[in-house]
Amino acid sequence: MNVLRRLLLLLLLGVLVSAVTGPMGPDAPLGVVLSLRLSRTALAVLAGASLAVAGAVLQSVLRNVLATPYTLGVSAGAGVTAGAVILFSAGLSGYWAGLAGTAGALVATALVASLAGRGRSDGSTLILAGVTVNVLGASLLLLMEYLSPASRLMEIVRWMMGDLAAAGYSRVFFLLPFSVLGMLLILTRTGTLNQMLAGEELAETRGVNTRRERAVMLTASAILAGGTVGAVGPVGFVGLVVPHILRRIAGGDCRKLVPLSALGGAVLLVWSDILSRVAVSPGELPIGIITALVGGPYFLRLLAGSRSGTDLTD
Amino acid sequence: MPELTLKGFSAGYPGRAAAVSDVDFTLRSGEIWGLLGPNGAGKSTLLKGIMGFPWLWSSGAVLVDGMPMKRLTGLERASLVGYLPQEPPVPQGMNVRETVLLGRHPFRSPWSTDSAQDREVSLKVMEQCEILHLADRLVSNLSGGEKRLVFLASVLTQKPSVLLLDEPGGGLDYRHTAMLWEILEGLAGEGVSVFASTHGLSMSGEHFSGALLLSGGRCIASGTPGEVFSPELMSRVYGIPLSVTHDGGTGGWLVTAGRPR
Repeated sequence: MNVLRRLLLLLLLGVLVSAVTGPMGPDAPLGVVLSLRLSRTALAVLAGASLAVAGAVLQSVLRNVLATPYTLGVSAGAGVTAGAVILFSAGLSGYWAGLAGTAGALVATALVASLAGRGRSDGSTLILAGVTVNVLGASLLLLMEYLSPASRLMEIVRWMMGDLAAAGYSRVFFLLPFSVLGMLLILTRTGTLNQMLAGEELAETRGVNTRRERAVMLTASAILAGGTVGAVGPVGFVGLVVPHILRRIAGGDCRKLVPLSALGGAVLLVWSDILSRVAVSPGELPIGIITALVGGPYFLRLLAGSRSGTDLTD
Repeated sequence: MPELTLKGFSAGYPGRAAAVSDVDFTLRSGEIWGLLGPNGAGKSTLLKGIMGFPWLWSSGAVLVDGMPMKRLTGLERASLVGYLPQEPPVPQGMNVRETVLLGRHPFRSPWSTDSAQDREVSLKVMEQCEILHLADRLVSNLSGGEKRLVFLASVLTQKPSVLLLDEPGGGLDYRHTAMLWEILEGLAGEGVSVFASTHGLSMSGEHFSGALLLSGGRCIASGTPGEVFSPELMSRVYGIPLSVTHDGGTGGWLVTAGRPR
């Protein structure tokens, strides 16, 4: 498959370039390459793959190409809890902020899902509930930022930008179980995901228990996105842009789209990470700014295109 | 080959009154029955209720070959009964071939690729439905009638013994409507039972072994076309003077608004 080969090549190239990119350039000692550069590359691979798969799944289950991993309130939930940890617990930030972020993401998703009801709620009800929870969360976060002393405020703002900066492998090991569990849940039901894409009535007639499968798929997306947010902060646009581009190139069959999205997400984040290191070298930009700068214009084009009605279903 | 039986069957949406009440009906192997009635009579809800969708409530019994439908597993039901909704959503980014192959889902694991048999069955059905030339086109870019044929093909690749079709001829031109009923006649000849809602009696009536006439969620009449398609009954149910004529030569039925002059 052409797309698969190209993505693999881009990923391999990204890993190699990443290994020689940084303040010390290609002459960095092997220890630095292995412990600092490759650890963040590994984190970029896991985070990118997880976000893109979560996006592909949500876009298919909700039958809406504008759905993102954050549609379910993931970023708002994570922002509130991680922000609270940073604000109220001196010296406890970092790992604990991440853990709190993941917990907040999962709670927000559960809240969105229960708001949307247990019945055969269509995608738009869930998306509206997600938008509402996101706005509520964003307001709470703004309130916390307003009440924060300057030093903490900076920390919260920095956390919300997302970053892959050096922390050895601890964040890789933090994210790994979430990524593995979420991916396993999704990769074993890509055919079922196709059925959801064709509508719940037809899916039911083909033997799919749509309520159960929908719950499993939403949970898996929340695990992937929530784990990623905890590890690297709410990095935006990967989950929106990657599945969308790959759907156009390789089609909507989720048996292809999901694995390709995993690869595509990894490629996007690995290369964004490289860009974040070279853009203002020897300093670096937060990864969230890079992905937003790439994703923002694309999102606008998507909106402009959807006016013709060709890009949106439901 | 199974037969489908409804006994005192009612169905509706949660929190609302029954959209169809107390329907008794038997569809035997190899029969094609028409489901008729004005807009809002409960035709679609009856078909959905028979399918047992979890977002509808139902009471009474639906039996497939004497076995309660509710006791069948999802996969058992999928291999026995196929259903074509009136307006299924278009699977985003999927082409015709992929969409038709979705009907093979009950016969494979939830992640596996299409087997040679899956491809063979879908190819044959696409040929039969005259959509083979559209195989690589995106479904979202097709016309309404073409989409209808694609969804019909995806239901036929499921190879069910009982077919419940909601307005199968919607959006189809004369030739494709004739083709549709020819396909269904062929399937009936193999023992498949068909229950199809329709407004287009003039192209479909000749193929019916029987018809069920719904109005206000209740069964007003059921029986042979000759019994059900009486001008008085049809005029009363549809609320407009209708003239119904039967062409003894072709077996076709012609329904026109207004009484014969």
